[in-house]
Amino acid sequence: MICPVCEAPVVAGDTYCEACGHALGAPTCSSCGAAAVDAEGYCERCGLRQPTGRDHAEIVLPGGAAAVTDKGLRRSRNEDAVSLLETGGTVVTVVCDGVGSSPRADEASAVAVETAGAALARGLPQEEAFELAGRAVAKLATSLDDAPACTYVSAAVARDGRVTLGWAGDTRAYLLPGGSLLTEDDVVETGEITAWLGADAGDVDLHLRAFTPERPGMLLVCSDGLWRYLDGYAFPATGTPIEMAREMLRHALDSGGQDNVTIVLIPLGESHG
Amino acid sequence: MADQPVFTLNVDQNKYLPLDGREVHAILTVGSTGGATVQAAPSAEAAEVIIIDTSGSMSGSKIREARQAAATAVRTLRDGVYFAVIAGTESARVVFPGGHANLVKASPATRAEAERAISRLTAHGGTAMGEWLKLAGHLLTAHPSAIRHALLMTDGQNNERPEVFASVLAGWSGKFVADCLGVGDDWVPAELRKVAEALLGTFDFVRNQGDLPEYFRRLTQTSMSKTVADLSLRVWVPQTARLKFVKQVSPTLLDLTGKRTDVNPLTGDYPTGSWGAEEREYHICVEVPPGQVGQEIRAGWVKLVRPDTQETVASGNVLAQWTDDLAQSTRINRKVAHYTGQAELHELIQEGLNARSVGDVDTATARLAKARQIATDSGREDTARLLERVVEVDPATGTARLRRNVDKADEIELDTGSVRTSRLRKEGN
Repeated sequence: MICPVCEAPVVAGDTYCEACGHALGAPTCSSCGAAAVDAEGYCERCGLRQPTGRDHAEIVLPGGAAAVTDKGLRRSRNEDAVSLLETGGTVVTVVCDGVGSSPRADEASAVAVETAGAALARGLPQEEAFELAGRAVAKLATSLDDAPACTYVSAAVARDGRVTLGWAGDTRAYLLPGGSLLTEDDVVETGEITAWLGADAGDVDLHLRAFTPERPGMLLVCSDGLWRYLDGYAFPATGTPIEMAREMLRHALDSGGQDNVTIVLIPLGESHG
Repeated sequence: MADQPVFTLNVDQNKYLPLDGREVHAILTVGSTGGATVQAAPSAEAAEVIIIDTSGSMSGSKIREARQAAATAVRTLRDGVYFAVIAGTESARVVFPGGHANLVKASPATRAEAERAISRLTAHGGTAMGEWLKLAGHLLTAHPSAIRHALLMTDGQNNERPEVFASVLAGWSGKFVADCLGVGDDWVPAELRKVAEALLGTFDFVRNQGDLPEYFRRLTQTSMSKTVADLSLRVWVPQTARLKFVKQVSPTLLDLTGKRTDVNPLTGDYPTGSWGAEEREYHICVEVPPGQVGQEIRAGWVKLVRPDTQETVASGNVLAQWTDDLAQSTRINRKVAHYTGQAELHELIQEGLNARSVGDVDTATARLAKARQIATDSGREDTARLLERVVEVDPATGTARLRRNVDKADEIELDTGSVRTSRLRKEGN
């Protein structure tokens, strides 16, 4: 047996290589095959940043609501994250998009959707779920210069059809079939976002909106990896939510797939089971 | 026990590479607080050897100034620093302490005794710098845990065979730090440059002999302010990559590439010498294998390591990510561009002066005129002014011409000063 990093002989069962101190039994690199992936996710032999296992994921709830997230064609990993839950007849979703210029943005979005999703499922109001998610993301920072960050949008669709939305940043919600935009981006003209979750975010106000749709339809919650390609796009009109979400993902990838893509579809006013 | 200094390491780079991109460049900015309490005297053990050229060419006013300078350096030593004074000719002689070849602790009594010994120095004999450094090295290595420093002052050319001198430098490289001063216009910058490069120090031209004591005082004080004896830059690159170079680029240019000590097949240590409260910058270049769009790799993993304890005091990642987005891959990092320009300026000046000394007027004119342009553009006013005295450029036509009568001192100052770099000016200036 040899050390995958320095190639010095090592004894089976040892925890560390005597020669270079490399931790033995590390995860295997998806590219060069060395058991040398470190805690930061880089292979200590070939250097490759490992896929995070979030490259493509789908969630489908018994009620039909569905989510798809994909790393797209141009990014090395998926820094979007999504949670989609149903509890007591209420469907809850949270979508967060890691801010590309911040470190470990994938961790920020993951912890944010998990925290806020669980809070909303417990019946906490939008503001409180957002607050908890913000604190969880801020805790990832080691300093203001090392502050993981992500955008935020959440939706809760109650059994009676009432929809509540909360958001900060440029992650959006639309109402289908018409495709009307329900959220307003926190962005300046040059495209930089002005609100996000993270230790360096300052005081961020959550935007809130609540309404009861007048006719059956679908709530679309998505990251900019999809909505950047929506100009002139005809939304799919048929199929189950997961089929429709996959079709929208295909559209985003066919259009260039520049960014991570996350799509959530929740039926409104009728069952898609 | 004094508080340990805090080190920081920041990486400046554009990680995006075009599809055929193979070279990753990054500037590492390493800062040290020097110790948490600034007022308190650093408690680190220090060892200092002062080397004075006492060859025949030093006779007259030069040896008087040199004696004063050495005395100033001795007075600057704080109590408890181990020290010695060497007089250098074709051989090396410990003039203080007398009797035995060991460093002694500075105290009011030993400093006074050293000053008396220095006042008796006279100038006669030849110049063998390798001998001087060898003796300094032997004295200093008796204090392995100390911050080891030598201060060498000379006015002349080394009379040793180049290969003898080179082998002394190679043998003592990394064992102690030496700062050198050249006085008068009869010394060869290339020789002191070799010393500075091998022993990780600085070298400077003292244009006015009267300034010598001030230079000695300042260099001694800087050396006293060091709090960490040795640090290595430990650089890992992927198995399939190649580390093309590691250079210090600020405050001076110093190529460390050849000073590598292998840690393992992927990792090497590069010595950086001793540290006080200061900031230095390093430029590293890694050649990586071809990659695919979207793929990200760690192209370099840089750590600042104390060789005695193997403790990592700061670290950073140099990344590479391939993209087909030209807006991302063609963006040039300003710091990388700045220091690439500073290194080019240094090379142009060295090539230009060499060409000039061998009578290659065309090459000299072209190199020095271009150097002048870079010096002006990058805010190196002093260098631009010296270049102006060597090469004149017609402002209307842009035609460059070497000047006929160049002050030897201007030439030496230009030659020695070219390793110094300017800092990057803030955006918008």
